[in-house]
Amino acid sequence: MSIKIDVSTFLHKYANGQQVVEVSGSTVGQCLNDLVKQFPSIKPGLFDKNGKLHSYIAIYVNGESTYPEELAKPVKDGDELHVIFLIGGG
Amino acid sequence: MLTTDELERYERQIIIEGFGEEGQERLKRAKVFVAGAGGLGSPVLIYLIAAGVGTVRIVDHDRVELSNLNRQVLHWDEDIGRRKIDSALEKLRRLNQGVKIEAIEEMITEVNVSQLIAGFDLIVDAMDNLPTRYILNKAALERNIPFFHGAVYGFEGRAMTIIPGQTACLRCLYRGVVPREKFPVIGVAPAVIGCIQATEVIKYIVGIGELLTDRLLIYDGLNLKFTEFKVKKDPNCEHCSHFASKE
Repeated sequence: MSIKIDVSTFLHKYANGQQVVEVSGSTVGQCLNDLVKQFPSIKPGLFDKNGKLHSYIAIYVNGESTYPEELAKPVKDGDELHVIFLIGGG
Repeated sequence: MLTTDELERYERQIIIEGFGEEGQERLKRAKVFVAGAGGLGSPVLIYLIAAGVGTVRIVDHDRVELSNLNRQVLHWDEDIGRRKIDSALEKLRRLNQGVKIEAIEEMITEVNVSQLIAGFDLIVDAMDNLPTRYILNKAALERNIPFFHGAVYGFEGRAMTIIPGQTACLRCLYRGVVPREKFPVIGVAPAVIGCIQATEVIKYIVGIGELLTDRLLIYDGLNLKFTEFKVKKDPNCEHCSHFASKE
């Protein structure tokens, strides 16, 4: 099963400079866990100390929001995930 | 009614299909509130005022600093230390004397926001922090005023248009907060996003094109990509869920 995840310019430095990484899993949570398995240093960028996704991160699958049950959202082969960081500069 | 000078000044946009003199007259009658005269506010204000929006109110409480000048193109070397509203007002009045421009030195808060936006038809989010954006989003929803969001970070930017009662709002899109910090930014990022916001404002007023509603546009300058994400109204949104839908 191959799913692509765009980790954003905020996190690509923790993925050996790759912005798009191939992961496997049948839910968003499993895909993120696979991402962390491949690049352990990316974990604090995604999750807080309690293992919850940071409140300033949103996960989109094929361009659609996965809120509110982000980690449980099912995914299938060929899906594209995006990690979107909240930004506030102006 | 447009004057002879106005017909000449705005000729190139009046001849755009679907724009016409009626579109220009709508711009002339419009009253736009712009929150912030910095990185995003500079292109937003320049292009709205060049396009002939009738009345513009600018609110900003900062003074010009040297470190602003890589991106806040309304402010120049000679303006360091001046109030941004004074620096902006001076240039913008020289750009187009036909536009009524008001500038207010205030920090936007939950207490004063209603008074500041009263009487205005549209609100442009050109702020540099999320808490104030949320205050403006809520106030725009309460007063049924379209809200034009933009934000930048580094080479990236975001934009989305919010029509109260019809579309997802800023709080449907973002729920968390990020610490107020010195954010990295290259001037071309707010230039791109500010121009997109100004485009949306003009389209809304004139009544042409398709608005950037229920869609978050992400501009990635480093890879030169624009990507769209669908945003749905959150039925439990703490800002907009209690307003009746007009759909």
